[in-house]
Amino acid sequence: MIDQATIEGIIRILFVCIIITAAYIISTRNLLTVVSVYSLQSLTLVGIALALWSLDGSIVLLEIAVITLISKVIIIPYFIATIQEKIRIKRDIEFHYLSPTTSLIISMALMLAIYLAFTRIMKDSPNATGGLIFFGAVLGISLMLMGMMVTFSRKRTITKVLGFLSMENGVLLFGMFVTELPFIIEFLIVIDLIILVILTTILSVGIDSTLEDYHKRLHRFHLLEEEES
Amino acid sequence: MILIAFVLVSIISLIIIAATHNHRHMNTVCIAQAAIFTLLASFVALFLQVPVVSFFIGNGFFFIDHLGLFEVLIATVIFTCAAVYARGYIEGLLESGELEKGSLKLFYMAWALLLLVIVLAFFSDNLALFWIFAELTTILSAMLIAILAARDNIDAAIKYIFVASVSMLFAFVGFIFLFETSRVKLGTGTLNWTELMQHAAMFSPSMMIASFVLVFIGFAAKSGIFPFHTWLPEAHAKAPSAVSAILSGVLLNVGIYGIIRVYALVHQTTAFETIAPMLAVFGLLTIGIAAFSMLPQKNLKKLVAFSSVENMGIMLVGLAISTPVAIFWVLLHILAHSLTKASLFFSSGILHRQFRSRFSSDAVDEIKDVFRYQPLAVWGVILGGLAIIGMPPFPIFFTEFFIMLQLGTVSLPVLAVLMILLFIAAGGLGYFVLTTFTQVSEPDAPSDIEPYRVPASMKVPIIFLLALLLLIGILLPAQGMEFLNQIVMELKF
Repeated sequence: MIDQATIEGIIRILFVCIIITAAYIISTRNLLTVVSVYSLQSLTLVGIALALWSLDGSIVLLEIAVITLISKVIIIPYFIATIQEKIRIKRDIEFHYLSPTTSLIISMALMLAIYLAFTRIMKDSPNATGGLIFFGAVLGISLMLMGMMVTFSRKRTITKVLGFLSMENGVLLFGMFVTELPFIIEFLIVIDLIILVILTTILSVGIDSTLEDYHKRLHRFHLLEEEES
Repeated sequence: MILIAFVLVSIISLIIIAATHNHRHMNTVCIAQAAIFTLLASFVALFLQVPVVSFFIGNGFFFIDHLGLFEVLIATVIFTCAAVYARGYIEGLLESGELEKGSLKLFYMAWALLLLVIVLAFFSDNLALFWIFAELTTILSAMLIAILAARDNIDAAIKYIFVASVSMLFAFVGFIFLFETSRVKLGTGTLNWTELMQHAAMFSPSMMIASFVLVFIGFAAKSGIFPFHTWLPEAHAKAPSAVSAILSGVLLNVGIYGIIRVYALVHQTTAFETIAPMLAVFGLLTIGIAAFSMLPQKNLKKLVAFSSVENMGIMLVGLAISTPVAIFWVLLHILAHSLTKASLFFSSGILHRQFRSRFSSDAVDEIKDVFRYQPLAVWGVILGGLAIIGMPPFPIFFTEFFIMLQLGTVSLPVLAVLMILLFIAAGGLGYFVLTTFTQVSEPDAPSDIEPYRVPASMKVPIIFLLALLLLIGILLPAQGMEFLNQIVMELKF
């Protein structure tokens, strides 16, 4: 069995991975890369869940790891990539208000602000500052806010969806470290997420096409039944 | 058992909708589903001991208490009316080619599912479960908005989904906080509202503030409270009018309901001294923004949508007072607002069909000679408008009056501000009615307007809702008041 210090070291390394993936999602313009980076980020979450599981052996963490692996590493990225191929958008070069550099600087400021805020909130809780739990919580909320920035600063709906997904990853990370939610809730959230992704991406197909074209495309996805003659 | 009945009815409705190709059949199924739901809810209210404890209810996931039942009753009545209205309205959309026949099935399935999900949300005891159902209502109602597949509709739906869902994630973090707070005090964490309510008094106030603020962000977005109201006018104006009525009359209630539930928890601790002023500030800002947006508004449906924003603000102010009397009138305000707003959207839907611009879907309706073409709809808008700005004998008069009386005991300056804002909002509505409905063309001028044929199914819901409102306003039935008192007691105000 690996000892505790090693596992905590591994978790810290995974934290760094999360920050790198989040920065990449914020700044990159190539859509296909964003999808694979999102998949990688979810995989990192799976790693963290597994590492935590080996620390305290709670079965819920193992279940979270499995369900994250199936839904967020495989199904959702695959679905988005398929849609992207269909609508042939390769690059999202339109940033609404923020350029990538400014976004990166803002997110650094956000992380600092959250760190300070959490030091105040958690000062009388048993998990004192500096511990893994503290960093997990800070990172979770930071990831969430960074995802929100992507959602509101990008123009293409598909990038917005990826920002939202990354937000949700942040919530999951936060939840994993702060407390232990019942598994059924995590499971339902994933279902909710999948429906949301499917709906928004299909709607996004419509945004960039004329009406007739849109309906043709919907027929291709078998969403509308053929009209009766 | 009662919950299973709800689910079974919905499943059967979905199967029938999936099997048929006829619009009328699908619509009849939806009317039947909503009517059966209304009957079931009334049965529970009249004959069962509330809170209901039976198989599958009261097990920690679902429960039926007075507040949930009250909201379900409102929702089912409005759904029934909206389904009846949709019969003629959707027929019209099909004829004009705005709605494709192929999308019908999707529309009615989303409709039937939405009703079920809303009912389940109101009957959820577990807050996380409630959160998930509330999320699903966003997704399903966005589908109903986007069903027209016009670019504007898709834009509005996507904006709605993102603003609401992103904010709802904050609410979820708030629930995680709440869970952790309860775990620190109780040993095992819980998100079960009844259990939280029993122990809320000993929770740490600072944690309660943190979790309430986060939860508030989420449900404020759901109910269109400033600064998260941006999606609301767009979505409500672009949606088919039958759907607008549901969005405004039922879905906004989901948000307010969430706020009330969590606020009841906060009210048990000292944290409420911090939270109540916050609610009042957001309430006033919401009313203010809505009132000033209503003033120059030329689009009737947008005007009505902003009036919803305004009413959500009034409810927040009422909540902030947090005396039992204020809560009582807030609850009645929820009912009165839902009924009035649904009837207003029904009427303005008819006007929109008659006078919509032929050139662009974004343009303002070219309203002219209304009394000649659509007398019923005009009177619907005028009476509904009087009802929504709080003229007696409509019930909103009483709710606003008593909320303001209660506010006066807390702070007179705030009351003055509130009254001015309400006056501006009423002025906006009145100005619109006076300027638009008096537009008359020359008596013998040639007119190319074809009267929009309004089927009886679109008229009946308007008349029914207005009559119901008058009845409530004039009678204020004692059993109903007792019911509301029960809710206030259960919320421990």
